[in-house]
Amino acid sequence: MEDKRSILISVLVVIAFACVPFVLDVDKSYFVFFLFLSFCYVTITQAWNLVGGYTGQISLGQHAFFGLGAYTTAIIWLRDITKTGYFFDPVTMILSGLVPVVLAIIVGIPLLHRLKGDYFAIGTLGVGEIIKVLFVKGGSFTGASDGLHLPSTVFESMKPYYWTGLFLAIFSTVVVYFLIRSRIGLALRAIREDETSAASHGVHVLKYKVFAFAVGAFLTGLAGSLYAYYLFHINPDAVLKLNWTLYPVLMCVIGGTGRIMGPVIGAFFMNGVFFLTDIYFVEINPIMAGLLIIIVMRFMPGGLIGLKDMIMSRK
Amino acid sequence: MWEYITFGLIVQLFVNGILFGTMYGIAAIGLSLVFGTMRIIFLAQGTMIIFMAYICYWIFTLMGIDPYLSLVIIVPLSLLLGIGLYHILFREAAGLEDKNISLLIAVGLMFLMENLITVIWTANPRFIETSYTSFAFRPMGINISVTRLNGLIMALLSTAGVLLFLKKTMIGMAVRAASEDMISATLVGISPHRVNAVAFAIGIGLAGVAGVGLATIYPFDPYYGFIFALKAIISLAIGGIGSVVGALLGGILLGLIESLASFFFSGGWSDAISFAVFLIVLMFKPEGLFVRSINKA
Repeated sequence: MEDKRSILISVLVVIAFACVPFVLDVDKSYFVFFLFLSFCYVTITQAWNLVGGYTGQISLGQHAFFGLGAYTTAIIWLRDITKTGYFFDPVTMILSGLVPVVLAIIVGIPLLHRLKGDYFAIGTLGVGEIIKVLFVKGGSFTGASDGLHLPSTVFESMKPYYWTGLFLAIFSTVVVYFLIRSRIGLALRAIREDETSAASHGVHVLKYKVFAFAVGAFLTGLAGSLYAYYLFHINPDAVLKLNWTLYPVLMCVIGGTGRIMGPVIGAFFMNGVFFLTDIYFVEINPIMAGLLIIIVMRFMPGGLIGLKDMIMSRK
Repeated sequence: MWEYITFGLIVQLFVNGILFGTMYGIAAIGLSLVFGTMRIIFLAQGTMIIFMAYICYWIFTLMGIDPYLSLVIIVPLSLLLGIGLYHILFREAAGLEDKNISLLIAVGLMFLMENLITVIWTANPRFIETSYTSFAFRPMGINISVTRLNGLIMALLSTAGVLLFLKKTMIGMAVRAASEDMISATLVGISPHRVNAVAFAIGIGLAGVAGVGLATIYPFDPYYGFIFALKAIISLAIGGIGSVVGALLGGILLGLIESLASFFFSGGWSDAISFAVFLIVLMFKPEGLFVRSINKA
């Protein structure tokens, strides 16, 4: 993404994606649904990339942020809190991003302060599971295990979903891209490489880690909000399941961790595999996913984006 | 609810918790050994346990061999499986600086096994029903089911076995040395692949023991494995990473917490409570409750 050519290519690809609804029948095409879901994955994977890839803090609690985003949208809508339009309302969506930020700061300060590496990973996993239980046990406020039903009559077309998804995917990629090129990004990468050294050079380690964690939570919450509009029935099994943590981690690592295009490639690739195996090998489709993760990690530890480097270096 | 509580009931809850907690304990010992040498949390451990439980179920239903007798087949089988898995999947990744690669291979393995089990045995819960399944000792009105007691005995025996192996044999000492410091261990001539493979084999071997224990006590389904692995991780953190006895005690403590929590609060809260205990331990005593010295880990 350094030179003008790759920026031009990115802009062209984005325009091509934006024009897809004019070419294909959005409401019937399976392919458009595939793209929509891929955009959601790109958003949350990019968020994880910032926390796990660039800052080196492996968070396994992303599903809590995703679920919190979805629930915030549902609760604001059903209780008529902000008195705005709700269906694809920017205010609701931004609030759905901010609520996970609050959680990320409350949880992040003690966890990031005291835990490192694997301990942080399991700690966040624990937080995620506690949040899930809180929502299951939330009584009428969260609708318990049955969840909340949004008025699905407002649904008209897949088009707003598609464009919002595309927008979020681009938004998160751009946010992460500019963050990484700024002084903040420098500090984050310094923390990843060597925390002690970063601290001795005057980087406030905890502040930057919490910042990255919070930005990741914001982006994940936005995706959760969009998914809530798509799902209409928000329940813990759907929006708080562990896949919302495992998939972004997988997609990020398979695409290439700590690279700006890694999550994009990983998300499209893995989602493509999920869809194709779902169509052609219905019986054994989850096995294929597991097998593929093993194969990619076993033979291409740098991820798919590393494949290009491998070919380049051979020339 | 409070008027029903008697001394006997409390003792019963303790007994149940301790007896089932030993299963978490064995799983946690496996995790601890693998973490010791390879520095990864082997997330597929729970699914391995469930896989072994299904093998035990198969041996029982197809060949009519008693589940406890089938240990003679299952333990060697799982040891071999452990060595095989290490050499096929983890050999290259174990040498890399980035431990996430090994961790993700473990996640991939978990997905693969989970779904393989679903395809072979379907997702219906299975249970091994023998002539003595419902049999229980009743000392002083407390119910101690014979299968759970056997689980406890198996756990204690395998813990003792692992401890003896680590303390008395050459390769066991090599595993301990590698857990302390892999680079120095390599410098004195210990092959990292050999110790990794041994630790892995014992880990999966213990999964075999836990699988048999689980299969005789509880109904199991393919997706229970991941939850089980999480419980094992909690036990490990409570007990202290790197200590075999600590892992077993951590498992027992977790079993106790769950048993009491699911009685005094409703069942759904027990997971949240065990995670909360886990977070508190991580925050304030990250080296574990049963470890005296502070390791770098």
